[in-house]
Amino acid sequence: MAKNTGASKFRRVDVDQFDDDKFVDDADTEAESAEGANDAEVNNLLAQGKSQDALKLVLTSAPVGSKSQAVKDRAFNTALRVLTSFKSADIDKSVKALDPRSIDTLMKYIYRGFETPSDNSSALLLTWHEKTFVAGGLGSIVRVLTDRKRV
Amino acid sequence: MSEKHNFGIKPVTCHAVSGDKNGMALSLNDHEVKIYKKSGGKWQETETLDEHGQRVSGIDWAPKSNRIVTCGADRNAYVWTLQDGKWKPHLVILRINRAATCVQWSPQENKFAVGSSARLISVSYYEDEHNWWVSKHIKKPIRSTVTCLDWHPNNVLIAAGSTDFKARVFSGYIKEIESKPSSNSWGTKMTFATLMAEFSNGGGGWVHSVSFSPSGEKIAWVGHDSSVSVADSAQGNRLVVVKDSFLPFMGITWVTENSMVAAGYDCNPMLFTYNSGQGSLALVSKLDIPQEKAAGTISAMNRFKDLDKKASSGDTSAELKTQHQNTITQVSVFEGSKDKCKRIATAGVDGNIILWDLGSLERSIQALKIS
Amino acid sequence: MAATLKPYLNCVKETLTAAMCVQNFDSQVVERHNKPEVEVKSSKELLLTPVVISRNEKEKVLIESSVNSIRISIAVKQADEIEKILCHKFMRFMMQRAENFVVLRRKPVEGYDISFLVTNVHAEQMFKHKLVDFIIHFMEEIDKEINEMKLAVNSRARISAEEFLKNF
Repeated sequence: MAKNTGASKFRRVDVDQFDDDKFVDDADTEAESAEGANDAEVNNLLAQGKSQDALKLVLTSAPVGSKSQAVKDRAFNTALRVLTSFKSADIDKSVKALDPRSIDTLMKYIYRGFETPSDNSSALLLTWHEKTFVAGGLGSIVRVLTDRKRV
Repeated sequence: MSEKHNFGIKPVTCHAVSGDKNGMALSLNDHEVKIYKKSGGKWQETETLDEHGQRVSGIDWAPKSNRIVTCGADRNAYVWTLQDGKWKPHLVILRINRAATCVQWSPQENKFAVGSSARLISVSYYEDEHNWWVSKHIKKPIRSTVTCLDWHPNNVLIAAGSTDFKARVFSGYIKEIESKPSSNSWGTKMTFATLMAEFSNGGGGWVHSVSFSPSGEKIAWVGHDSSVSVADSAQGNRLVVVKDSFLPFMGITWVTENSMVAAGYDCNPMLFTYNSGQGSLALVSKLDIPQEKAAGTISAMNRFKDLDKKASSGDTSAELKTQHQNTITQVSVFEGSKDKCKRIATAGVDGNIILWDLGSLERSIQALKIS
Repeated sequence: MAATLKPYLNCVKETLTAAMCVQNFDSQVVERHNKPEVEVKSSKELLLTPVVISRNEKEKVLIESSVNSIRISIAVKQADEIEKILCHKFMRFMMQRAENFVVLRRKPVEGYDISFLVTNVHAEQMFKHKLVDFIIHFMEEIDKEINEMKLAVNSRARISAEEFLKNF
């Protein structure tokens, strides 16, 4: 009689990987702005007090199509620095000046920020979330969830 | 404006209306299909079709030949014909090994298409010789569950949406039963299962519902990323997407050549208009404008009652402001046709089917212009 | 501290409303089955991006959604050892009675204290907005509850210590 080895490793084998019809993510053809925003440029804008321009630059050049996690991490850190540079009174105004596409990207960055809570960043991100929600509605949150191109 | 018909507390998962508008077939989230007959403004249950082994997922009622086709999670489909006042089932072998998700008769009612979780579309037609329904499969390049279908008015093309985020147009031409189709805006070569067009709206988002425009030149679909998309084959497959600030839509149907109604998790049907000249797609208006209740004056007695019973003060009513109290699962043309729709029907998880009279809505809602 | 509670709960509420768009969906992997995709994770196209909402390092909510189910995991604030013990005991108490809570999961997701699993069946039987309200209400109450228990334990300990020390 077969001996019960208690092995359960075989249960974890993914046999479906050999299925021809299995879903595969589209190979990204568009390599739009795969580099993300230029760090120095953003710093420059921040130093001049042009937070709004820095925000726009970061959002429009977000490397959503990029495959490299390092590029995304760098872009995210830049974005977080821009977001935290705002005074909470100015957030409302700056969100209103954004186009819908940027609002979706902004929402993605906010949720990305929540993943790594640090001293006080969460409180600020919550304010950002509140204002962005007013502008983008539930649709923008739904798109954070559904979009396969993450920031 | 709108009539609300309640069918209990269970969700109406799918519904279909007969050609004379006096019959309705629906399933309340279980394995039974219930047939209702309209008498004096009320729907009376006349018969229960109990043949499926699992949840019924799709119903379609052929208006001319008066046949019902149903499909379910038990992988079967049945064609029901009325004989001596009783509906008689006829099993269709779909040859699928996963649940069927949706079904639709072709415009000429000589075949029907079934979408399934087996990542394929099964097109079935009747073979007189053997006296049964035969199925053919469209497989490539579907990578995930087919969630929705719609037939082109030329009786050949099928639009399908699936959970791999794409909407596709296939040829469903069966050479055994019909003559060769003439070429149209989607292409010329139409052998069975040819992929005529494939669209993705960029982001993720499962396609929940797809609809051919009355002329068949455009398809519209709704995705889980709260988007409505229109692809226009007359304009070289131009794609227009609008991503809105609402929750995702579950159903969409055209109501004129340029307008469509979509409804879903927001419990509120909305009208969108497509302008082929400008290539623009925009939300016109919501169809369900709630009447503002005289709020604010909460009597002292009610206040204490609430505090006592619900441990809450103030306005915490359980009801949504919309007529549907839960997700709308399906939108269909109730009266008229897709190019000149008079009334649409929306079915919801709250067990209601609401009929919306587009003509009177257009008169009463100022922003609503149906072109 | 309290200043961020309201925005935090609002944020969770909005995210839950957006995430709780579920439908009945039969398994495309196993024949005649229908199971929560967020748990079985059999096809990746049916899963959505999991999101975290955090109020600080300790308090956060993880929302994982899929085509027919969503999983909500909550990390409750635990400032000191006694709160840790109380939280652990309290959550254990509830999760052992998970069937009475309908949407409660029997085991929390790793790194969190308590998890809920909302499937399409729940969304069909109950109003969606009420389900969201329930989760928010739960989050509001849980902090309060643990604080109260902590006070009760402390005062009880003080009394027993006093009684004990009277003997000397």
